[in-house]
Amino acid sequence: MKARTLVADDASFMREMIREIIEPEGFEVVVEAGDGLDAVEAFKEHTPDIVTMDIVMPKMSGIEAVKQIVELDPGACIVMCSALGQEALVMEALKSGAKDFIVKPFKPDAVLTTLRKALEKKD
Amino acid sequence: MDLAKYRALFLEEATEHLAEMSRALLDLEKDPATGEAIEVVFRMAHSIKSMAASLEYTAIADLSHRLEDRMEVVRSAGRVDGAEDLGLLFRGLEGLERMVGIVRDTDEPPAGDPELLSALAGLGSSVEDPPAKKVTS
Repeated sequence: MKARTLVADDASFMREMIREIIEPEGFEVVVEAGDGLDAVEAFKEHTPDIVTMDIVMPKMSGIEAVKQIVELDPGACIVMCSALGQEALVMEALKSGAKDFIVKPFKPDAVLTTLRKALEKKD
Repeated sequence: MDLAKYRALFLEEATEHLAEMSRALLDLEKDPATGEAIEVVFRMAHSIKSMAASLEYTAIADLSHRLEDRMEVVRSAGRVDGAEDLGLLFRGLEGLERMVGIVRDTDEPPAGDPELLSALAGLGSSVEDPPAKKVTS
């Protein structure tokens, strides 16, 4: 069974890139979100198996969205999408309940490995 | 990866982001402490950086990264520090517009602008002046 995935990023460019990397490899993007607020709402509605979460987004940051999702579901499987230089923010996200992170620009192998490991930890 | 598809997406989103950045800088011209405008400029620079790095448009990634770094300083200060600083931010915007235009017109990665990178690095008194570095994110 494919892992139902929520992809949250304010850039459709990045959402499309993640979709293209993961969909042929056992994941199904069931919903996308363009900001943190939408990500929380999409999580409530779709209860995905895994979430990829950008950090810098309008309306609500990815970190705040992680906090709210983890409050809803302490077992939520969230992987942060970070850029170089965002180490402090990544640490904050991990402390807030994110399972791991991937770094932009995305390397397909690293993305898939990280997402699979995060799902294994969840199981 | 379908480069043509991502190039088109990049041009579409970068153009929108630059228009948004331009509006935010105009807001900052009226009121240098407009928090929302500061956030918009920061966020647009960050987003363009990630997209450009993904397509190996290094000059755009470097310039947007430098602009993002400078906006971090502005965020910390809560305001743009005077007309000269605002002018440099506008120069950064214009540089990005020019580079994105080159991608649109030629389908080639634009050349870097070391002078503009240095100028942006000198913006603000509370920040060190790091050498231009290759952006990989």
